[in-house]
Amino acid sequence: MRSTIQSALALTLLAAPLLAGDGRLAIRAGKIITQAGEAIIDGTIVIENGRITAVGAEVEVPWDVEVLDATHLTAFPGFVEAHGNRGMDRPNENIDVAPFLNIRDSIDPVNFYFEDSLRWGVTTINVQQGASCVIGGQGMVVKPFGMTVEEMLVRPASGIKLSASPKSGKSRATQAQALRKAFTELEHYLAGLVQKQKDGDDSARREALYQGRDLDSEEAREGRAQAGSAAWTVADLELIPRGEIDEKQAPLLDLVEGRIPAWFYCGAPMDVRVALEVARKNGFLAQTTLVLASSCWKAADEIAEAGVPVVLSAALMHIERDPVTGEEIETFVPKVFKEKGVRYALASSNQSTQSLWFQAASCVAQGMSRAEALAAVTTVPADILGLGKRVGSLEKGKDGNVLLLSGDPLSVTSFVEYVVLEGSTVYDRSKDVRMRHLLEGETPEGTAPAGSEEPKVHEHEDEVVTEEEPVDAGEDKE
Amino acid sequence: MIPTLLLTLATAANLAPVTGTQDDERTRWSIHAEKIYAAPGELIENGSVRVDAGKITRLGSGGGGDISVYAITAGLVDASVRIHEDRLSVEESSEIQPALRVADTLDPFSHLWQRQLRSGVTTVMVSPLDRNVVGGLSVVLKTGGPENIAARTVAVDAALCGAIGSSPSRGNHAVYGLPTDFFSRRPTTRMGVEWEWRRAFYDAALAQRHGAELDEDARGLLQVLAGVRPLFIQAWATQDIRTAAFFVEEMAREDFGQIRLIVDAAAEAWKEPAFLVRTGAGVVLPPFPHNGRSGPDRAFTAWSSAAQLHAAGIPLALSSHGAQSPADRLDRQAGYAMRGGLPFDAALAAVTLTPARMLGVDESVGSIAVGKDADLVLWNGEPFAATSRAVGVLLEGRLIVDPREEN
Repeated sequence: MRSTIQSALALTLLAAPLLAGDGRLAIRAGKIITQAGEAIIDGTIVIENGRITAVGAEVEVPWDVEVLDATHLTAFPGFVEAHGNRGMDRPNENIDVAPFLNIRDSIDPVNFYFEDSLRWGVTTINVQQGASCVIGGQGMVVKPFGMTVEEMLVRPASGIKLSASPKSGKSRATQAQALRKAFTELEHYLAGLVQKQKDGDDSARREALYQGRDLDSEEAREGRAQAGSAAWTVADLELIPRGEIDEKQAPLLDLVEGRIPAWFYCGAPMDVRVALEVARKNGFLAQTTLVLASSCWKAADEIAEAGVPVVLSAALMHIERDPVTGEEIETFVPKVFKEKGVRYALASSNQSTQSLWFQAASCVAQGMSRAEALAAVTTVPADILGLGKRVGSLEKGKDGNVLLLSGDPLSVTSFVEYVVLEGSTVYDRSKDVRMRHLLEGETPEGTAPAGSEEPKVHEHEDEVVTEEEPVDAGEDKE
Repeated sequence: MIPTLLLTLATAANLAPVTGTQDDERTRWSIHAEKIYAAPGELIENGSVRVDAGKITRLGSGGGGDISVYAITAGLVDASVRIHEDRLSVEESSEIQPALRVADTLDPFSHLWQRQLRSGVTTVMVSPLDRNVVGGLSVVLKTGGPENIAARTVAVDAALCGAIGSSPSRGNHAVYGLPTDFFSRRPTTRMGVEWEWRRAFYDAALAQRHGAELDEDARGLLQVLAGVRPLFIQAWATQDIRTAAFFVEEMAREDFGQIRLIVDAAAEAWKEPAFLVRTGAGVVLPPFPHNGRSGPDRAFTAWSSAAQLHAAGIPLALSSHGAQSPADRLDRQAGYAMRGGLPFDAALAAVTLTPARMLGVDESVGSIAVGKDADLVLWNGEPFAATSRAVGVLLEGRLIVDPREEN
């Protein structure tokens, strides 16, 4: 069934049933760049139950494990996209404060973006709501393979999106006010709950029953004591059983208690102050990662002082024009954050000319070290995502995610030849018709012959289907 | 001027540390590199280039330098840019404008020149926009120097430029409303555009044949038929590239003359290279789009386009098409072309010597040779690799971008 659906969709490169094993695979590679110590020449990676069980030059391969001969290729850990909102159906929600939403309901597993991610070696992706929000929904970490969201899942709750930059239709002041108000309202709501409980008012319980929530499980009956480091607390909150807290407010409380991470978007340097203030005051600074537009390098000192990691905009070079002299001033953003000692992850904006490998290569071109650049697309984003023990490097115990490249990961002439995800070969370039089309102009079977392509005509705007990535309304408008 | 010159000479002689201000005026440099890509296929390892008074005076192995870098190439040449042009630079009184000069619309103060220069592009041909059928005469310029177009000009009236495809007819419409409506007099289809091309050239050629009086426009077209300058036709899609090739063949068949055709923005030229080989045309490719499609007609550029055209023996230039995004810069295009299989030397040729030849300025730019303009790009690694970039630029002997300021 699965293979029928796939061939129907012409996703021939994702021929999982043909290629995938049982999460057991041994890869013999000409070179293994582990991202954890020295590279290994002529080494072997053994993967069992989807996890790496051995990496090294002298590794014994169990007799019954299938061996992938890649002695002409270079093994590299998959790239990690620390934050993005591609792969979703409409990444921006109209409701200002919507922490109860979950992007699980918006991820489109057959979105071209995920297929393209494999092609360019991105194996772990944190999908978050777009930046046009005050407080957005909860994101998740996925791998770009699978026909359902469950199959793609790496980590279900990767945090809540917030924006200090004005959502469309708002001014900066109203945006900041709306952010602060959301937490004041939470505080008032919780205080109200406590008061009702003390007054013997059971309306919260009745509302919970009305919403169909389970109130009798052990967890739901447990009182919710407020933890975390927020500047405010609600006295006697432990009187309130978890199950009675409205599901619209519960995720915000999770945030305040430091249970889930925050991805705070700043579209301009001035937004950084608001983001840090809101995170600090409400106790989630330690779980916060700032998602920055390129101009935000100007707030690097403030960010360094707060000690939060950042995800950089795909536009690595910030260009500014002197209004008087007309001279353009270029600032290479990753360099600034490196100098200030801020942990940063690079992000991509499309999957070829600004893919993660290319972003890393651009850092090297700007004089940064290769190790620094490669870490910013592998181990650093893995750590920021709290997945440092699972992805980002090729080490014993980590997920069996391996790229096999035709050459150096930063060379313009290298290609991803195979992608192994949790021990299954999910991408094979020799079977990638779309790549062949893009590279060689060869027309995939069953499509119109070369030369007969006509520009698409759409009669109604509503029906337009594009393969462009969705525009993140808030990001990088500068 | 004389004191400045003396100071410069004195500085060079005693090798004293020099300040930035003096360097700005200095025109005498010796630059050492591990690799000097003097011309396509011509590599000098561990050599140096000496420049003086705007020209290259020495090239060879060994030799020290004021500056040492990993690699040197000639200044890059982009045969197709549009800088600071907008709707106001399109003359709409007629679709055929063979006598208009794009040089008259250019703004030497635009910051966009700096971007070109910083990325290593030292010579460009600025073309008119593609709203007209025949848009006018292009100009070849240096991207820096005095803020004065005449002083930067390398070649006036370098090529006659026009367009085939949907662009010249876009926005025009069939007759309705006021009969004086301008846009209803212009072609509204590809057929109409092609008809305009043929009518203009037939009128000019037949007028000459019958000894009629020739106006400036007609003389401009006849010069192209006589091969005085090349004809750049912007044509993205296969059908438009064919139309351009057939048009040139028709002019030859009618014995009007042999047009030197360069197909600009030829995104789909790779699909039918045979027509271009047959007409002896050259090709200028637009930037490689990340998902394959670009331009007004969403034409498809395979990443191997450059490699395929090179293999077919077609003169090939890469271009940024005047794009301002860093990803579309000319040096990046050479890298992408290599990703698609173009050998390094061919990629180097496609951004230096080949476009210089197309524009007829290869006597002075396009390669590193004694006597040529001292336009050099200094690289911190292999040119066009994703991990390297232009860290220094010399324009006519002046160090415009200083690699020593690399922090």
